[in-house]
Amino acid sequence: MAKLSRADAEDILYAEARLLDERRHDEWLGMLTTDAMYWMPANSDGVDPNREIALVYDNFAKMRDRIGRLATGVAHAQSPPSKTRRLVSNVQIESAVENAATIHSAFILYELRRGKERIFAGRYEHRMRYEAGSWKIAGKKVVLVNSDEVIDNLTFII
Amino acid sequence: MPSQINLGELVQDGRVHRRIYLEQEIFELEMERIFERNWVFLGHESEIAAPGDYKTTPIGTQPAIMTRDEDGEIHVVMNRCMHRGATICQDQRGNSSSFRCWYHGWTYNNKGDLIGLPYADGYGKDFDRRRFGLVKAARVEKYRGLVFGSLSPEVEKLTDYLAGAKYYIDLFMDLSPEGEVEARSGTHKYGYDGNWKFQMENGVDGYHPNFVHQAFFETQAGPIGRKVMQLFTGNSDYESKALGNGHSLLDMSPKRPTEGRPTSNILRGATSQGAGATYMSGLLARYGQERTAEILSASNVNLAVFPNLLIIGIQFRNTMPRSATRTDVHLLPTTLKGVPDEINVARLRAHEAFYGSAGGGAPDDVEMFNRCTDGLRVKGAEWLELSRGIEREQVDADGITIGHITDEVPQRAFYRRWKALMCDDSQSQQLKTLRMARTS
Repeated sequence: MAKLSRADAEDILYAEARLLDERRHDEWLGMLTTDAMYWMPANSDGVDPNREIALVYDNFAKMRDRIGRLATGVAHAQSPPSKTRRLVSNVQIESAVENAATIHSAFILYELRRGKERIFAGRYEHRMRYEAGSWKIAGKKVVLVNSDEVIDNLTFII
Repeated sequence: MPSQINLGELVQDGRVHRRIYLEQEIFELEMERIFERNWVFLGHESEIAAPGDYKTTPIGTQPAIMTRDEDGEIHVVMNRCMHRGATICQDQRGNSSSFRCWYHGWTYNNKGDLIGLPYADGYGKDFDRRRFGLVKAARVEKYRGLVFGSLSPEVEKLTDYLAGAKYYIDLFMDLSPEGEVEARSGTHKYGYDGNWKFQMENGVDGYHPNFVHQAFFETQAGPIGRKVMQLFTGNSDYESKALGNGHSLLDMSPKRPTEGRPTSNILRGATSQGAGATYMSGLLARYGQERTAEILSASNVNLAVFPNLLIIGIQFRNTMPRSATRTDVHLLPTTLKGVPDEINVARLRAHEAFYGSAGGGAPDDVEMFNRCTDGLRVKGAEWLELSRGIEREQVDADGITIGHITDEVPQRAFYRRWKALMCDDSQSQQLKTLRMARTS
């Protein structure tokens, strides 16, 4: 039996942010449950993915393929790769029950690629599950502030 | 402004000059002679399904609003107050029977008439508010729900303009057992630092996929990825086609369609036997065996409608020129009316795996457009080569030019149309009169 504290949540989010910024994708995948969904809505905060197109709506297998694509060396939109660094803050735990919790947080992400700098901001919603002795990400939703605007190249993992 | 003779020289059959992708002066002329004198794709009527619905979308670089009035009729009005020029509509989409310019309160109905003029007694006796309606597209016509507008009255009927593209638009719409699709599932919006023509060339380019999309085919496309790559090799038996008026096609329909078997990519994805069977029986009920087989086997195409529409996979794609070296692109994924939800969900998921800013395919195309913009700065290499297949293309009895799928038949068709329009400096008397009327 486990209950997620804010300190636990921050540790998880910071670890995840570092893995993604360092493009350690396989290790990051290890933070997810095998039934995890990754959802980045387009146009809105995301209401019903079955009726709306998303920027990303991946189950674990599709996310593994997405990461596999980045590792091929011929994923041109990430050749050269985006260099990123993200700050995660405003961490709040919502609906923590035994072995499950939802974490809300905000992020700002700086990206540099081909000499061009961009800033993204948004919020994360992590659904956490305690599984085999550790907390895993069972669902991650990324809501970009600019989800309804023109966005060039978003092929790194947010 | 570049002289007529120069423009003609910049686009030759089989090669085009780098300047047409880089120079703002040429871009401005494109807006005038291509986007302001021709049919331009604006959207799908299902986007503004209810009375009062509207969406803002440009014609060339000019802001416009596509509206549906209370009688259900579609109007295209320019987003510019007739008083002092401010835009009157600020949202990308919405519902309203009127638009108020919040600068001085002038108000228009969704047909474009001026219906509100604050403190009207300040204007003279001869002030005629009927002369201050919004500028409207001179022509608005629909085909199978696709809405096109033209700022010039002197365009042929839309159905004539679409020429050989019509047959393929029909196939796309007929994938629905009700013969109708809807574009109400959101919009993918991306852009790039490059010319709008890169996107139009690329959407019907069968030479690039095995290089640009190798990563997708090897990973995210699943077990069929390797098979798809065979479509785009030198010994593929698939075709590229020029359909008239600058429209073109990549035809990946199987040469030997199996009767009634869904070979289309529409059924790709995790649809259960049950949903697929329901869908099939819906198609058969409406179209019968023969037409159903034709729809399912022949709809696997990429279609370009000059100058700014691509129909690919499940999407309508609107290429929106912003400047010589900046382009926005909106993708409108569609769902089929009259099919089980599961089919439409599979369509959306298959679409977003490849398309959109975070897709596994389209961003790699966009990367090439950025690379071309950089590379074309080199002086001394002045030309882009578009001659592939020029000696083996054939013209069939219907006047359709047919080449190998990897041939540059679509690109040559696009640029023949481009050249004809860009070199036409004969502004007609009617158009001149119209412009005079607006400026007087």
